[in-house]
Amino acid sequence: MRTGLFLLLFAICPLAVAAEPDESLPVPADEFVYCTVCHGVQLMGNPIIKAPRLSGMDTWYVERQLMAFKNGWRGAHESDEVGMEMNPMAAVLSDEQIREAAEFVSKTRSPLPPVTVDGNVENGRARYMACAACHGIDGKGNAALGGPALTGQNDWYLVTQMENYRDGIRGSHPADVYGMQMRSAVQLLSDDQDIRDVVSYINTLNTNQGN
Amino acid sequence: MNTDQLTRRTFLNLVGAAGGSAAVYQTSMAMGLMQDTGPVAMMDLKPAARAGNRVAVLGAGIAGLTVAYELEQAGYDVTVIEASKRIGGRNLTLRHGDIVDEMGNTQVCNFDDEPNLYFNAGPARIPGHHRRVMHYCKTLNVPLQVKANFSRPAYVHETGSFGGEPLRIGQYIADARGFIAELLYKAADQNVFDQPLSEEDKERVLQLATVYGDLDPNGIYQGTRRAGYKSGGWVQPAEYHSVMDFSELLHSRFWERGFASSENPDWAEPLMEAVGGMDNIIKAFVRNLKTKVLTNAQVQAIHNTSNGIDVVYNHKGERHKLSADWCFNSIPTHFMVAIPNNFAKDYREGLAALQPGNFFKIGLQMRERFWEKEGIYGGITSTNQRITQIWYPSHDIHAKKGVVLGAYAFRNQSGFFERMSPEERIAFAADCGEKIHPGYKDYIEAGVSIPWGRMNHMMGCGTNWSDEARDQFYARLQRPEGRHYMIGDQISYHSSWQEGAFASAEFALLDFDQRVRADAAVTRKG
Repeated sequence: MRTGLFLLLFAICPLAVAAEPDESLPVPADEFVYCTVCHGVQLMGNPIIKAPRLSGMDTWYVERQLMAFKNGWRGAHESDEVGMEMNPMAAVLSDEQIREAAEFVSKTRSPLPPVTVDGNVENGRARYMACAACHGIDGKGNAALGGPALTGQNDWYLVTQMENYRDGIRGSHPADVYGMQMRSAVQLLSDDQDIRDVVSYINTLNTNQGN
Repeated sequence: MNTDQLTRRTFLNLVGAAGGSAAVYQTSMAMGLMQDTGPVAMMDLKPAARAGNRVAVLGAGIAGLTVAYELEQAGYDVTVIEASKRIGGRNLTLRHGDIVDEMGNTQVCNFDDEPNLYFNAGPARIPGHHRRVMHYCKTLNVPLQVKANFSRPAYVHETGSFGGEPLRIGQYIADARGFIAELLYKAADQNVFDQPLSEEDKERVLQLATVYGDLDPNGIYQGTRRAGYKSGGWVQPAEYHSVMDFSELLHSRFWERGFASSENPDWAEPLMEAVGGMDNIIKAFVRNLKTKVLTNAQVQAIHNTSNGIDVVYNHKGERHKLSADWCFNSIPTHFMVAIPNNFAKDYREGLAALQPGNFFKIGLQMRERFWEKEGIYGGITSTNQRITQIWYPSHDIHAKKGVVLGAYAFRNQSGFFERMSPEERIAFAADCGEKIHPGYKDYIEAGVSIPWGRMNHMMGCGTNWSDEARDQFYARLQRPEGRHYMIGDQISYHSSWQEGAFASAEFALLDFDQRVRADAAVTRKG
């Protein structure tokens, strides 16, 4: 009987809470609904479309990446089929729209993404020490050094991007100064396993409620 | 296998080839091995009760509109919300001034403003055995006409065969059948089977082979008028085409592409199309709905509650909540993974296990119907270039202009075109067409491209089910999750066909009706 009651409460309670929309979440202006088509509600990320989570990302980093796509520093390499999907989206944005888009992105909130990468956390921790200089000990990023937050990001996306840096698919354009830096930095990781280990360690830094 | 002896099975395969797969298909139907799409369920939905009659339909494509229509007929209060600017989903006919809402590449269709100049960018052909499409076209008064999908005068074009010159499909087929028939004749004549044919059967096979390939009395293929006259034939003596080299026929790959395509029942003649554009089916539904479809409304969350279902959506920069008693959802499964919900784990896993399919089409307005001068009045030219096909309209014959399909890329071949600008796509298709029809480029007046994998609120066309996903999740996703039904061609065995969408809607409605009736029975007893 007690078990039955517990199950009943368990079944009903989350529903009652979840049914009310959260009024504090931003609603995109019509021109930025596009972002949510691929990146999902509140830009929570969509692994099937391979669109990463952007929720709560810092405005400066979003602006920089939109400019990188717009300028063809990113998403222009012939092997970067997913990045190429982003290019035309950024190409049509004015500088002002890029600022507004970044503003919208920074206000979105969604639950932390699920863990999908299963690497060696201890090895990852050791390797991460080199990353911490720019991305912070806590993985929350460092605006002054231009290192974006790594926490809250889809782990599969971090793996893809590190591979892209390593293979010269990202960070090869001479005008992409930060990308070039990252391309050098990623050479410190010796193989695929190192990359997965570092990402698994970054997953352990995801301690808050999401953003 | 002994090379001197064909097994009976091989022989039957040969006969199958001789009789055509239409014969095999008929036999299979009779044996219950292959189903047509089955009789249309006569919707006899229980009329809506006073309470519990609010229905939310998500997505205004074929499946959503069908559910909305049928439930309104039964007295339900239906709200349809659609994320994109327009109603119809992938049933899209493009005409003068229409907007193609491609992500990052908005196009405007620049065809002339004439009723015969339209392009079916999504579904474009209806076989008669798609009984639900036929049923709704009849019920909602959507006029249909025959659409020629196969044409012997259209071309086979292979960059590496026949000197790169286009060859009439009729000529290819006549010679290919001639050679196949000759082989069959020889095998039967020598009676080299593991179980020899009776003399009577042997005679019949020889006759069949002779008729099938138009062989001479000695069972040799010497060419046939079926390949078309090279010249004469009416008031001058006929000159036939010389027989092609069999190895060249084999070397070309037409036999694995267009050769047998119209023996697939879904592409078998006669096919049909809606007069004036396939979207007349959509317009007919809209005409017959009481509710006004709410466009530009994007779903943000779906939650089953203890006695209903809540749908949160954004519309014009504001958030809204729609509380309903039931929800029928045709949002592509590849978006559902990024829409918050409180569905059960297995249901969410099923939604996440599917991948979007893809297609790409180009429509070209031609200043003249040059194909008619080449004796082509519909059907499809097949090429091994990336455009794969050219379709000629069989409607409005002898009109001044016409719209041809200038490219049709399937699945992962679509990405090649997606990564080009709209102008580059048209230029690429023009170059390919030029190799088949000299002067093709100059006939092009206007063009529009539709990469379904890049269309706003679509990002795909149809759904790819792996065998594992089908085994593990199909039945689960067909069943409702609480008061929520997934629908659409994605929840069918015929993804990217309108019939799949209709059938899925029907399946969900029948399940729904059983539940409503069962609930009513319980209430009465109580």
